Amino acid sequence: MSLKTHARSKAIHIMLVYTGGCNGCDIEIVNAVLSPKFDMEQYGVFLTWNPREADILVVTGPVTHDNKEPLIDIYNAIPNPKLVVAAGACAVMGGVYKNCYGDIPSEEIEGPVENVIPVDAKVPGCAVRPQDVLAGVVAALPHLLNAD
Amino acid sequence: MEEKKAKKQEIIETEIQMGTVHPAALEPYRVRFFVEDEIIKDAEITIGVNHRGIERIMEGLPVEKANMLTEKICGICSNAHTWNSVRTAEIGLGVEVPDRAVYIRVIVEELERLQSHLLYLGHGCETLAHETFSMRAFYIRETIMDLLGMIGGNRVQYGCSIIGGVRPRCELDDNRIRKILDGMGLVEKNVAEFADRFVHDSIVLSRITGTGYIPQEQALKLAITGPTLRATGVKRDLRTDMYEYDNFDFDIITQDTGDVKAQLLMRVFEIFESIKIVRQAIRDLPEGKITDRSWEMIDTGLIESYIEIPRGTLYHSYAIEDGRVRHSIVRTPSMTNIGAMQYACIDNHITDGQLCIVQCDPCFTCSDRAIEVYDTKNNKLDKSILQSNIH
Repeated sequence: MSLKTHARSKAIHIMLVYTGGCNGCDIEIVNAVLSPKFDMEQYGVFLTWNPREADILVVTGPVTHDNKEPLIDIYNAIPNPKLVVAAGACAVMGGVYKNCYGDIPSEEIEGPVENVIPVDAKVPGCAVRPQDVLAGVVAALPHLLNAD
Repeated sequence: MEEKKAKKQEIIETEIQMGTVHPAALEPYRVRFFVEDEIIKDAEITIGVNHRGIERIMEGLPVEKANMLTEKICGICSNAHTWNSVRTAEIGLGVEVPDRAVYIRVIVEELERLQSHLLYLGHGCETLAHETFSMRAFYIRETIMDLLGMIGGNRVQYGCSIIGGVRPRCELDDNRIRKILDGMGLVEKNVAEFADRFVHDSIVLSRITGTGYIPQEQALKLAITGPTLRATGVKRDLRTDMYEYDNFDFDIITQDTGDVKAQLLMRVFEIFESIKIVRQAIRDLPEGKITDRSWEMIDTGLIESYIEIPRGTLYHSYAIEDGRVRHSIVRTPSMTNIGAMQYACIDNHITDGQLCIVQCDPCFTCSDRAIEVYDTKNNKLDKSILQSNIH
């Protein structure tokens, strides 16, 4: 284990980006990291709102058209190595919004997240359970720690 | 040597804009603060990046499916949307809902109000930069989330209503009733301690007293709804008009001052009222079946339904044709409260700007609907009404 990996494993920073879901996953993820019951911070996982200090990008929502460019900008602003976790049914497969205009081709929904940025881990659920978010982040960690 | 001269001092007007993705704001929206010497002179909130067209997806779906879909409008008051959508269909089809089902719906809705208000307190205190209070509110909220998970089977999307009653999953047996009562006792004790600590904290009070003031007159003019309106002293609560709440005895809480302090205390007092309603509902819970399946699907004209949800008045409307939904319209309370958010920012310090927005309990995800504002006097489309009411 390199010194860098050792240091990084003590402070994993999550950034949450919200691309047009229903708020449910969002609150559950903030709940999972911050609230005293689940408290991911005790495992050394912190929530940040600055892409430049983030290691893991957690994306919720089906990526609406207006949110596509901000999402790509945020993804590019995160330094390497980085991971992307798609959390919730909307982010994983478009959810109920995928075919929002039926058979008519829709420009409104760009998602699932895979279509926009590469995804490393998927957390299913509507809304995601805090335990699942933790499991998803932990499952993706080896990629991050073995990166260099 | 040339004499040095100071630049003439003058007030510089700047524009500070945030969003659409910003640390201080969980949800994507854009706000522009027009600042003069660190004092906000005007604020403008733009939404629309979240638009997903739920009404369009509902169009042409079978009514039962469309009802389930409305749950996905908002992740905080999900049950309220299902309830109102189901209620719309019930009004149109003339379905009699069994008493027991009505009581269970009220219990779930009041539990939802509890979790929404506690989320508000948590979010509000976080925006106040008081993390200890925030964590405490989130901790109390977990009790409610467990109860909702127990009743509905999911922590967030737990809508319990179906046409003619509630889902069989949401039947309350003795074990569940005992758990709900235990939970209510715990929440009441914890919130009382929280509130007691909160109102005796002079540092917090100095920050929130007088901040984000909304006068009553302006609140009525902007047509804001829910606890945000009641905090300005207007005694208006749609629960008094709903037949579901006929048998319950509760007070409508109002506050006079209309500032952040009033808004926060408003929610605290409403929590106690909700606990009171849940206890009454459990005490008087009628026996009998929870679903009435003897209704028939018929074609109807346009049906409308208004209910009171944690953030204010919710409106659903659609017509039924061949068992399918036609011309669905949803109006959420945050939509009307946006005017209040913009107004509350004016004449406050820039550091309180976010607090003034959060005090109106925003939920921009549910408010991203396609709207048209009509000027009823001239009978024409007017996009400037929301803005012009402020000035």
